[in-house]
Amino acid sequence: MSDVKREFVQLLANYGHIGFTFAAAIVIGLAGGIYLDQKIFDGRTAPWFTFIGLAFGIAAGYKSLFEIIWRNRESHKKSDNED
Amino acid sequence: MEHPILFISIILEKLGLPIPHGPVGHTFIEQLCAPYMTYTWFVMAFLLFVAKLTLGNLEMVPGKGQNFWELVIGGMDSFFAENMGREMTDKLFPMIATFGLYIAVANLIGLIPGFMSPTASINTTLALTIIVWITHHIIGFRAHGWNYYKHFIGPVWWLIPLLLPIELISNFARLISLSIRLFGNIMAKETLLAILFMLAGAFFAPLPIMILGVLVSLVQAMVFVLLTVVYFSQAQEHAH
Repeated sequence: MSDVKREFVQLLANYGHIGFTFAAAIVIGLAGGIYLDQKIFDGRTAPWFTFIGLAFGIAAGYKSLFEIIWRNRESHKKSDNED
Repeated sequence: MEHPILFISIILEKLGLPIPHGPVGHTFIEQLCAPYMTYTWFVMAFLLFVAKLTLGNLEMVPGKGQNFWELVIGGMDSFFAENMGREMTDKLFPMIATFGLYIAVANLIGLIPGFMSPTASINTTLALTIIVWITHHIIGFRAHGWNYYKHFIGPVWWLIPLLLPIELISNFARLISLSIRLFGNIMAKETLLAILFMLAGAFFAPLPIMILGVLVSLVQAMVFVLLTVVYFSQAQEHAH
């Protein structure tokens, strides 16, 4: 595989799945919060755990977004030092 | 939506085996004869057969078939080694390369009339993803022992209540995003092709989508493989 094509695939894999990961993190956080509210505490604590779960989900989404940026920056630094 | 003609299902029906009419069957035999299962077996048989045909007798001066496989396997090998190191590549190459070849072939056969992609079913993609997900945790445990939990608690102790749920959620999000992305892309391709065939098949309307389908199939297989490699190498790395 040529270098341009390899870089294209790597960029596609790194950034192409961030949309799905972001959405999935928010859905998991929200679903966990709703589950805690409705099933474990029988709706007595609603809507607090839902909001907390949602906040954690959004934070996790941003965390996976930043993780990709940091990893990319590190690999750029590494390749800059090599050059 | 009713599927187009699937010839393995028709053959099995003629043989008297029960074919499920919903997405999954009720009895065990019906579940085994569901289209995504039979086409998974077909892809496996196809890969075994082609490998046997082209690599049956290895030669020093490779012929056409052996040359092709040497290109594919050599390319994948150097690609993995670049991303996760030589040692891990030697250990995990059979698994990841099998996943890559299986997903690529499974995506591509959906473009031929009479076949469907096994990866257009969430069961197949979720099974693949769960294997990858569990394997990356096993790799982490084997590399770090019980210190592997440090990957999930962040740098300082008073941030644990904040960072532990975030790390756990983003780890589980990998499970969902990896499976749903492959499933969604391939199912969208299959559904779009079926609808275009139904609407304007006589005017070759599905042809442009088929060209895009070849691209999507190969790219999705590569993306799955690359993300698997990235997760494995992240589990191997030291906690930051």
